[in-house]
Amino acid sequence: MKPLNQKAERVQQAAAEDKMDEVRAMQTVTAGCATTFDPGWEVDPFGGVAALCQPMEADLYGCTDPCWWPAQVPDTTINHKSWDDGADNAARDWRSLGAAYPKDAET
Amino acid sequence: MWTKTSCLSAAILLAAGGAQMAHADAQLLKKTCGSCHSETDNQLSRISGQRKSPEGWMMTIVRMQHQHGLQVSVEDRRAIVQFLADTQGLAPAEAAPFRYALEKDPNHVETFEEPMASMCARCHTGARVGLQRRTADEWLIHMDFHVGNYPTIEYQALGRDREWYKIAREEIAPYLAAAYPLETSEWDSWQEAEKVPVAGDWIVITELPGVGEAYGRLSVSGDASPYQVAGTLMSADGQGRSVSGTMNLYTGYEWRATLDIDGQDYRQVLAVSEDGTTLAGRQFQRDHDSLGGSLRGVRADQPGVMLGTVPSAVPAGSATVQVVGSGLDGLSASNGSASANTYGAAVALETEGNGFVTLSTDAGEAKVAYYTTIDGIAVDPAFTIARIGGGSEVGPEAVPAHFRAIGLWNGPDGAPGTEDDVRIGRVNAEWTVTNLHEHAAKMEDAGYAGQIDDTGIFTPAVAGPNAERPFSTNNAGELTVVADAMGQSGSATLIVTVQRFIDPPIR
Repeated sequence: MKPLNQKAERVQQAAAEDKMDEVRAMQTVTAGCATTFDPGWEVDPFGGVAALCQPMEADLYGCTDPCWWPAQVPDTTINHKSWDDGADNAARDWRSLGAAYPKDAET
Repeated sequence: MWTKTSCLSAAILLAAGGAQMAHADAQLLKKTCGSCHSETDNQLSRISGQRKSPEGWMMTIVRMQHQHGLQVSVEDRRAIVQFLADTQGLAPAEAAPFRYALEKDPNHVETFEEPMASMCARCHTGARVGLQRRTADEWLIHMDFHVGNYPTIEYQALGRDREWYKIAREEIAPYLAAAYPLETSEWDSWQEAEKVPVAGDWIVITELPGVGEAYGRLSVSGDASPYQVAGTLMSADGQGRSVSGTMNLYTGYEWRATLDIDGQDYRQVLAVSEDGTTLAGRQFQRDHDSLGGSLRGVRADQPGVMLGTVPSAVPAGSATVQVVGSGLDGLSASNGSASANTYGAAVALETEGNGFVTLSTDAGEAKVAYYTTIDGIAVDPAFTIARIGGGSEVGPEAVPAHFRAIGLWNGPDGAPGTEDDVRIGRVNAEWTVTNLHEHAAKMEDAGYAGQIDDTGIFTPAVAGPNAERPFSTNNAGELTVVADAMGQSGSATLIVTVQRFIDPPIR
């Protein structure tokens, strides 16, 4: 088996070095972060960012479209269908991707 | 000795005047929501089976606007949130375990047991669940809502490796119905409790990012939301900053203020204690909610209450310490002389070496450390995250991180890192960031992810792919934050990660 991305490479390396106990199905992050690493949004299986999809824009739609981190990133399947309108290429058009919660909704 | 403000007459007045307002708001709720939510026995479907925090109700209404085309003005939306939080809110004891989420504490790490950990808290805070109360039927509907709204929930990790839907309906829904039921004795008691009017003067202790420890006096006027708030916050150097704005009080104790503090917009998310004498919560910048600090307060007419001192620890020598609190006319200090003032009492100290000054009132004692040397530094928080951002007119702003250096003494055993170490208080430090590990060094994270200033505030770099970095990696990074002071050093871990595009009041 050949790892296809950095994350897979790091997991394979962890297995080879007998460090799989450092890999977590859920990671400890500050409250409100996505804790699963499937892939995670904020952190990778090691609790850092080195094994995330980087830059995140390169693979963003592959995960946001199917609602992978619905609490952090708009999904275009159901809840934010027009979020990426006019931003066909996230790596090029990332400046068009807006914050999705209204600023005037204060208590 | 503690005395309790008499509130009976005011409570009766509020009840009489409030009845008409409540009727108007009930009509507004029906008018705004009734075209979709059916009415039975004066109860609107779905809504009547739930209780929530003010933020929880706000998020629900925002979702109705976004998903279902609800048309409602900002003013009416807030009035409905007020009505629902007042009539179907959470008792103080119910919200207490989860206040960190309401306060947007950027450093809190949750610990939830299974099954909630992987069924709920892997996507959002567990607090978002714990800050709701529902009937058993409503919790069941809530499971189906998740499948309908987020269908891939069943084939994400910790979804596909189990019978997610079966667990959701047969385990989680009953679990939540038992843990967070609609009807509770806490809510019944709180509804019946006399609520002390919030108006009056409050003495507070807090901090201002970039400035440091602060204290002040806030005057609240009015008899209903929005209340007027005005006052002054003082920094350790004696400089005053004017405070003005408004405050909405929900459920009789949930204080939500929007304030101008010396030209900067701030929010306060506080809870008034059940007896109406103290305040506790967090104050933060309106546009950068990670920048702020805890805030505690006491009514200015309370006898003998010490909230703390500013500064929290003082370099030895000649210095004046502000003891922040109320009713401190009789304060005595084991060193120096105390004189009462608007914010408690000032104590002029003459100290040498390391030690404590004991502050005494009839109600109790407190201590403030003076120091010539320290044995170590703890950096608070020891672990947190920041987020890259900006570089775009519509995208999320960067999320900074704020670190504090706490001076340590080794304690009686003379050894560092043991349970008897003494946290003496804040010390001024020089701040730097370095790479957390070998891979971070290889990626030069410390050079790209952002910068830390001399007040311990880390400002992340701009969002977007960075063509200068391998694979055009974002300016994310894994860093060690280092504080150096008085020959000692302390550190913390900082993960600089990517933007959060959905950032509701409860994450």
